Amino acid sequence: MASISSSFGETDQVLVEEKSSAKIFTLNRPKQLNAASFQMVSRLLDLFLACEDDPSVKLIILKGKGRAFCAGGDVTAVVRDITQGNWRLGANFFGREFILNYVMATYSKPQVSILNGIVMGGGAGVSIHGRFRVATENSLFAMPETALGLFPDVGASYFLSRLPGFFGEYVGLIGAKLDGAEMLACGLATHFVPSEKLSLLEDALCKADSNDPAIISATISEFSLVPNLKERSHCHRLNVINKCFCRRTVEEIILALEREAADKEDEWISSTLQSLKKASPTSLKISLRLIREGRLQGIVKCLVREYGLVWTVMRGEINKDFFEGCRAILLDKDKNPKWEPSKLEQVTEDMVDRYFSKINDEDWEDLDLPRRSNIPPHAIAKL
Amino acid sequence: MEKVNFRTQILSGHLQNHRHATTATICASPCVSYVPPEVSEQPFSFDVASMRKLMDGHNLGDRDWLFNLMVQSELFNPRLRGGKVFVAPDYNQSMEQQREMTMKRIEYLLDRGVFKGWLTGKGPEAEMKKFALLEVIEIFDYALAIKIGVHFLLWGGAIQCFGTKRHHDEWLSATENYLIKGCFAMTELGHGSNVQGIETTATYEANTGEFVINTPFESAQKYWIGVAANHATHAVVFSQLNIDGNNQGVHTFITQIRDENGNIYPNIRIADCGHKIGLNGVDNGRIWFDNLHIPRENLLNSVADVSPDGKYLSAIKDPEQRFAAFLAPLTSGRVAIAVSAVYSAKISLAIAIRYALTRRAFSITANGPELLLLDYPSHQRRLLPLLAKTYAMSFAGNYLKLLYLKRSPQLIKTIHVVSSAFKATLTWHNLRTLQECREACGGQGMKTENRIGQLKGEYDAQPTFEGDNYVLMQQVSKALLAEYVAAKMRNKPFKELGLEHMNRSCPVIPAQLISSTLRNTQFQNDIFCLRERDLLNRFAAEVSQYRAQGESKESAFVVSYQVAEDLGKAFSDRAILQSAIEAENNVTDASLKIILGLLRSLYVLVMLEEDAAFLRYEYLSTDNAAAVRKEVAKLCSEIRPQALALVSSFGIPDAFLSPIAFDWVAANSWSAVEN
Repeated sequence: MASISSSFGETDQVLVEEKSSAKIFTLNRPKQLNAASFQMVSRLLDLFLACEDDPSVKLIILKGKGRAFCAGGDVTAVVRDITQGNWRLGANFFGREFILNYVMATYSKPQVSILNGIVMGGGAGVSIHGRFRVATENSLFAMPETALGLFPDVGASYFLSRLPGFFGEYVGLIGAKLDGAEMLACGLATHFVPSEKLSLLEDALCKADSNDPAIISATISEFSLVPNLKERSHCHRLNVINKCFCRRTVEEIILALEREAADKEDEWISSTLQSLKKASPTSLKISLRLIREGRLQGIVKCLVREYGLVWTVMRGEINKDFFEGCRAILLDKDKNPKWEPSKLEQVTEDMVDRYFSKINDEDWEDLDLPRRSNIPPHAIAKL
Repeated sequence: MEKVNFRTQILSGHLQNHRHATTATICASPCVSYVPPEVSEQPFSFDVASMRKLMDGHNLGDRDWLFNLMVQSELFNPRLRGGKVFVAPDYNQSMEQQREMTMKRIEYLLDRGVFKGWLTGKGPEAEMKKFALLEVIEIFDYALAIKIGVHFLLWGGAIQCFGTKRHHDEWLSATENYLIKGCFAMTELGHGSNVQGIETTATYEANTGEFVINTPFESAQKYWIGVAANHATHAVVFSQLNIDGNNQGVHTFITQIRDENGNIYPNIRIADCGHKIGLNGVDNGRIWFDNLHIPRENLLNSVADVSPDGKYLSAIKDPEQRFAAFLAPLTSGRVAIAVSAVYSAKISLAIAIRYALTRRAFSITANGPELLLLDYPSHQRRLLPLLAKTYAMSFAGNYLKLLYLKRSPQLIKTIHVVSSAFKATLTWHNLRTLQECREACGGQGMKTENRIGQLKGEYDAQPTFEGDNYVLMQQVSKALLAEYVAAKMRNKPFKELGLEHMNRSCPVIPAQLISSTLRNTQFQNDIFCLRERDLLNRFAAEVSQYRAQGESKESAFVVSYQVAEDLGKAFSDRAILQSAIEAENNVTDASLKIILGLLRSLYVLVMLEEDAAFLRYEYLSTDNAAAVRKEVAKLCSEIRPQALALVSSFGIPDAFLSPIAFDWVAANSWSAVEN
């Protein structure tokens, strides 16, 4: 077991409880909507690794304090580090975060994440890779990175690409906000439990005293229900989404959407187009390619590739959209980022290739994922 | 029964033994638990993504897009096995069901814009994209690729090559959008490779301005016509053109054989070729024509035309040349076939090698763990040379595609010769690889879900269609001889078909070959050139000897078949080696260069070991042959640690491999039966 009584403040960012054979970790930065800081991520990683070797632990429950589960990585801190010249610290943060994602994706014990609130970016990374994801009526999921000049990371190229049809492209490119019912419908959540029953669920899970995924699943099912999708749900649009978001390029996707819109006036299509036009053109192209390549590969390759991209983005040599996005959305909050290049057609195939090519940088180190030898088959394929 | 019990006891004792021997974790004995090769193997010595880029060569994003389209659609029959999703056709379906599924998949791909620009697109980029997408389709199912290939490359290619503007305007866009479905009616029951001998007739009637197409005898029925049995609405028909009782040779005509609802037209009879040993997703049919009248304009008239009053007009006066012009679309088909053979070999090797990196058999120490299959030198010798050949031929395929793109009147001969040689060599290599990989996977290779066995059936037509391999190789030898005769007669240097090496002095092979020489590119090139040069001299000598004895040119060729076959192989292997060397030379990354060098050496040395010609004609002494053999084993053991990286570089997504390539224990567990 890692020492809980560290003298730094970092332990407070994750609260740890132990109930019979279950460990309950609570993300504890409620004022920051539990944004994942370097300390929080490091702490979680230590805790997960320690619990894996601890035979007394059979189950891990992960939840957030306050109205968010986790609103994402603490990007403001990363940008601050980078603007102060410490871009390496930023890259370190992502590296640690991705290792945590990988450990969760290949974890030998069941992880139940209670998604009773905002789940965005890094928040998805610490939950979706786990075995069970419980949504509630308060859940709000999004991968909003393209609007920030980044791309869906934390292994999203793995889990988004495994959603039905081309829903993953849709969610990843436009940063669509999904509620709990939608998360369940598309497979991001494995269960939906009304929030009023969460404490009962927690007790039952602890009492179950089991590491058998079938038993855990049955236990959650006792409290779960299948909610109706709201009338204007994204999930009702799966046909159009498949038809348009399966296209080869971002330009063709937009063209397909515009063709759909030409047939009939449709608010959903115009807002989708709006989101695409507001996002960083470079981010859109990178994200599409990430999802397409990620769909054909395992979690390891997805994380390794995303890490390479993060590095390139942090270096800011090809473009600086990430910093501009953070400025406009998170710091100055003028919500008016000036992307460069500003148009999709200016982002050439060569530019995108550069993001994906082997990094020739003497500081570069590949993402050092821990070797995990006893991965059960169910641990790898969760979506 | 007693024997079975005894064996069970031995086995369970053996398993339990191991359980005690290993630590008390979830991990059971190494022979029953699956460890992914990514975990057990050493880190890769080179960048797999760069290698994939080199191998696939072009349109990687387009390829991945199409893989995505297939993986995400229920039409491609996704099944969950051992925690992973695999896509492959359901070969347990009836022939009719398989054909319908193939058609549905085509409609899906059409709807998603996959075929956009396949006939209306211009320039090398459009052609390369078409090749790339076709290769991806083949990786899923060869029948699907063939059905698409018939429509686009054969029917569409015929319209492009033999048609003129009026045909292009009428048919190309309609074909690309599948408003019509085309087939290519060339082969007959009585004539296949010998196209000039076909018996279908087209007779011009000046009074009506129409051609009348007829199947005069049963042997003239069109046979093996892909897409004809169920779906085709139109056919390019190869017929002997008769005008005023004169036969003008083989020409091509557009005929409509079905209406848009699929009803067969009057004066046409169509029958099914029936169930086949593979490619049952393709509806091969037979066609008879009974006084079918078609308008004069339906003659594809780029090579020759008939005026309304019945005058035969052709810019090409020589009937032989005129005929050769008609075979142009078969070249693109041959290019596609050669390349597809390499991808099929890649699939089977990726599966068999991944399996060999996770499956164990027999322990060679007391109580020690059983050995991985690929740690047996004998297993390495079975699979790794095929891997090295597949790499070399993959580069040869890329070279062939680029050569085809550059096609011009000057290059027609070269393209014909190289595409014939590569088509034969690569398709033979594939079938051999499939058989070896099937056996290397043991019983698991028998399961259809593991793909390799099924691929044997699906790809078995390759040495036959678009030209029988032996016939093609004879044409290669004949072309080489023609080049030889021309050079000697005019006393001019060789400058075509890669025969320039004949102008230099004859390479000398060292009396004693040592390891460093065997791995030397110059030596490797020399010995392949030496074989080709000597065999060409021998072939020329043998043919002229027969001629001197009064034999005709044709019969001299026929009786010299043994040297001719050796020569065809020598040409092909030399051209493959040179394309591999060129690819290697263009690589700057040192880690890639090292592994490519090892593969190239293994390729050459295995050819030296396997082709009896090297000993037969004494290019190698028996001592040197022994040195070669020793070096092959050494190279296998050097390549062994990179085997996983090398098959990972094929760029075939996991979903297109098979359960034994991954967690075959989970895929076969009882819980998988229950679900």
